[in-house]
Amino acid sequence: MERQIRLLLLDDEPIVGKRLVPALAKIGVETESFTDPEAALQQIARKDFDIVVTDFRMDKMDGVEVLRRVLQKSPRTKVIIITGYATLEIARQALAIGAFDFIAKPFKPNDLRNIVAKAARALGFKVKDKPADSSSAHGDSKMEFSDPPDASGR
Amino acid sequence: MPVVTLSSDSDPLSREIAVRAATALGYDYVDREILKAVAERHGVPEADLHKTLEESPSPFGISSKNHARYLAYIEEATLAVLLKDNVVCRGLAAHLYVRGISHVLKIRILADPKKLAGEISSGRTPSFEKVSALLKRRERVRRRWSLDAYRVDETDPSVYDMVISLARIDPDEAVKTIVETTGYRKFKPMTYSLKCMKDKALAGRVRAALMDRFPDVRVQADGSSVVVQTKALEREKQKRTEIIKKLAGDIPEVAAVEVQILPDIFRKAAESFR
Repeated sequence: MERQIRLLLLDDEPIVGKRLVPALAKIGVETESFTDPEAALQQIARKDFDIVVTDFRMDKMDGVEVLRRVLQKSPRTKVIIITGYATLEIARQALAIGAFDFIAKPFKPNDLRNIVAKAARALGFKVKDKPADSSSAHGDSKMEFSDPPDASGR
Repeated sequence: MPVVTLSSDSDPLSREIAVRAATALGYDYVDREILKAVAERHGVPEADLHKTLEESPSPFGISSKNHARYLAYIEEATLAVLLKDNVVCRGLAAHLYVRGISHVLKIRILADPKKLAGEISSGRTPSFEKVSALLKRRERVRRRWSLDAYRVDETDPSVYDMVISLARIDPDEAVKTIVETTGYRKFKPMTYSLKCMKDKALAGRVRAALMDRFPDVRVQADGSSVVVQTKALEREKQKRTEIIKKLAGDIPEVAAVEVQILPDIFRKAAESFR
């Protein structure tokens, strides 16, 4: 049975959401995008997400706090940290707390695609590449996600 | 899975631990055996590559220029192996040039001083004072070597993620501890750390390609773009930039080369006295 990956994107720079939401849609991932951490966390409290992609350094709240609160609510959710201030220490800190992956900005949409696929596989989804359709300007292939066996109650 | 680098004050000991850890993890193992291929590739004596990893440059040994060149060749080869992941690396000083990569687990093994004394005295029974002096001298030599080569003191425990003293911990326990630590979240490879490793490996390749002609060159890579820094006189700038762009650009993974020429103030001063 197919279902779409539920992904939440949080970055206080609006341009990030504007770039990534269509890029993720091209590969078959429906994304809810937020610039306000509190609003994002309220949505996370209301709804289950498979993957959360969050910026690390934001004015109102840092990514570590978001990471902690997401995992507290849903330890299953894979959290991917994105940041323009990547350092060894921050990367290790994020991993130690439970981040699934860590990627430095700037990155290509394809890099995020690969990480999303990796996260989906880690969640137990079967991920298949479907051939790109003519509407895809860059020839990005869509991904098809089959339900993981333990997600049937959701 | 993380890459493991092992450094020790005892060569036979670090080899034993490294091989056992690699076997237990199902990893590849790499040590100075790769120097043969490095020597063949660059047309340099293999013995000199071994010497480069043991001795600082000197007027009667390896010259400074060749020392830097040979280190660049060794780094290039080692980084190419580490890029493949799932590897235990020993004896190639990797712990000094892959710092800043979070999925590299850097381990220092300290031999039992009594066993180390036996090793360096080669079966003879020198006095305690003589052995202590020899051990201290050996440590001084290694400290000096690592500071000369990489400006890092490899005898400083803070360089490592883990230091294991075999005076207190059995080799079996040491191997178990290493294997367990590779499972820690902090050492899990991430997209960011894998990219950092890839960038280092590319920078290493470019540097090795340029070292023959430009021994002072410094290279940084970001994706497929490289930045090369070197020194030159004003009149040499253009020609040097062209040559560097050509040599670096010949490497398939390199898409863009930026050359930064810094003024060679010493040569300029020397010329002004003529």
